[in-house]
Amino acid sequence: MHSTAPLTLDRLGLGRPARIIAVDWAALVPAEARRLREFGLNVGVEVEALHRGSLFSRDPLAVRVGRMRVMLRAAHAAAFMLEPPA
Amino acid sequence: MSVAAPLAAPLVAVVGNPNAGKSSLFNALTGARQKIGNYPGVTVERHSGRGRFADGRVIDFIDLPGTYSLTPSSPDEAVTHDVLMGRQAGERRPDAMIVVVDAGNLPHHLRFVLELLTLGLPVVVALNMVDMAERDGLILDVDRLAKALGVPVVATVAVRRRGLEALLESLDSILMAGHQQTAISISHEQRAVAADQLARQATISETSTRGWTRAIDSVLLHPFWGILILLGILFVMFQAVFTLAQAPIDIIADEVMALSDWVKSALLPGFWRDLVTDGAIAGVGAVIAFLPQILILFFFILLLEASGYMARAAFLMDGLMARVGLSGRGFIPLLSSFACAVPGIMATRAIADPKDRLTTILIAPLMTCSARLPVYAIIISAFIPARSVGPGVGLQGLVLFCLYLAGIAAALLAALALRRTVTRGVGASLLMELPRYQWPRLDDLMLGLWQRAWVFLRRAGTIIFATTIILWLLLSFPRVPAGSSANPLEYSVGGHIASGIEVVVRPIGFNHDIAIALLPAMAAREVAVSALATAYAIEGSDDDATANALQHRLSARWSLATALAFLAWFVFAPQCISTIAVTRRETNGWKWPAFMVGYLFALAYGAAGATYWVAVAFGLG
Repeated sequence: MHSTAPLTLDRLGLGRPARIIAVDWAALVPAEARRLREFGLNVGVEVEALHRGSLFSRDPLAVRVGRMRVMLRAAHAAAFMLEPPA
Repeated sequence: MSVAAPLAAPLVAVVGNPNAGKSSLFNALTGARQKIGNYPGVTVERHSGRGRFADGRVIDFIDLPGTYSLTPSSPDEAVTHDVLMGRQAGERRPDAMIVVVDAGNLPHHLRFVLELLTLGLPVVVALNMVDMAERDGLILDVDRLAKALGVPVVATVAVRRRGLEALLESLDSILMAGHQQTAISISHEQRAVAADQLARQATISETSTRGWTRAIDSVLLHPFWGILILLGILFVMFQAVFTLAQAPIDIIADEVMALSDWVKSALLPGFWRDLVTDGAIAGVGAVIAFLPQILILFFFILLLEASGYMARAAFLMDGLMARVGLSGRGFIPLLSSFACAVPGIMATRAIADPKDRLTTILIAPLMTCSARLPVYAIIISAFIPARSVGPGVGLQGLVLFCLYLAGIAAALLAALALRRTVTRGVGASLLMELPRYQWPRLDDLMLGLWQRAWVFLRRAGTIIFATTIILWLLLSFPRVPAGSSANPLEYSVGGHIASGIEVVVRPIGFNHDIAIALLPAMAAREVAVSALATAYAIEGSDDDATANALQHRLSARWSLATALAFLAWFVFAPQCISTIAVTRRETNGWKWPAFMVGYLFALAYGAAGATYWVAVAFGLG
């Protein structure tokens, strides 16, 4: 375990790809966890934050997973632990 | 004794992930020979159509709802699962599947292919959108993929109608071969690994390009400009509804008048002639005249959907919608509700959270549906001067835009109130794909437009026709006795019912005409216009019952305060019967539709009253 809080997807800077090293599936509702897996979000996958929020809030987050782009809220993104980008 | 039945045409299911281009391929295979129905017991639309092999033999296609896996997350995804398992009532098990795959997104889409191969149905894979994949720097080996999967793979570009002959040939051969070797079922993780491997094998070269989608998104999803552009698009949409539709509306109004004159010259004066001209033609004609506006609105919605922009709108609106306890997911059903609340409420099935979904259903009728457009249009053109308030901005269009905004604001406030009271629960979520941008094919848009126009015309031909006739009878009988100077309208049964309603609505500035229009507007909102047209046709000595004539009558008889109160009323209500019916079906009972009708009528009454008294205070009464 890291002594400091690990980088999670909700805090990843825009345009800097990073690899998922762990996922806290238990923090997610089972149906949502399944949909996120169907989107390809899983350990070992490279993700890149593309856009974050609009005028109204910092949610949601647009993420590139491979060649696919998905959107999710920060609450879900927080379940994905990342290896900090180089 | 049984007669030898002709051999049934094979049934082929078109299956795939959302955004794989499945519906375009279905359109390409079936052309305009499509039927839209419903699966029994569920409100999922069943799209079916006929296609032909090169030698003329017939194939029946069904377009199944897009899904990411065979584990359904929503009612429409459940239909896909049940049909493929042969468990869906009212549908035989398909003889084969065309699995549509986005060539630019192989690792994701191949997982679903691998899962579908466990079903044992003959499969041909349509490797769709190969042109876009190439544009994004991806070159694929179709033969190698086919060999690795063990099923035929055909490269297609559905929107350009490319690869269809080869696809049909492969389909023919797998149907001949019959049963498919059933792949062994493996776990999701194993499938993901296998799909990645397959995608790598099939990829000849892959250059990482930034791509158009990324460039466009940097503008359209910009935190500030993106919102501004979205508002701009909506504004242009509603301006177009008013400006582009005027010429066709005039043509239709002229045709209706010509038809009415022709019937008058062909029939003898009397009951039947009046029924046809003042009842049927005046009433239905007044509604049909608004077909151009409804089509323009639907055209924009279809265009935004097909281009991939709709998901961006959901992204941009999510922050705002989250504040009132909804998700950006709800934006698409709500935007569809601008066309009609019925498909909008049905589209809420894509929202996973039940409380989020219920709230979206309850506020969907606050979105200004196209059926309210005829009502707004007639009142605006009668009372708001057609002058310009800036370059390209007409006052009439501006008022219409404000009415739409009022509906949206009311919906957001209602959602906020509902989420804190009757639909309290955990926060909504937003898990959605952002598809690539795509230039929509005009044929696909036109087909969708035609299907929606047909639904509208069918309503005009049935519900609106029937209510118009009934209303005409109510307003025409009993006849005023000869020699009496009584107003024929006041003397009729309908006149008496309206007098009863009038007592209730008088405090909010509504007059007798409106009281007459309110009752049939429950059946369908646009009937309010035909009800007014029918009422004035009975009353008037001249027989001019077109939309233009109606405007003159209205502006002569209503005060501006009354007109504004009437507009405010229609921002909230009345509910149409179809909306109540679909809400009952989607919420499994009468509780929520009853609640919805109650709260909307209360809001409508309050808003119309407030508008009227404010207007009167400003001297507009």
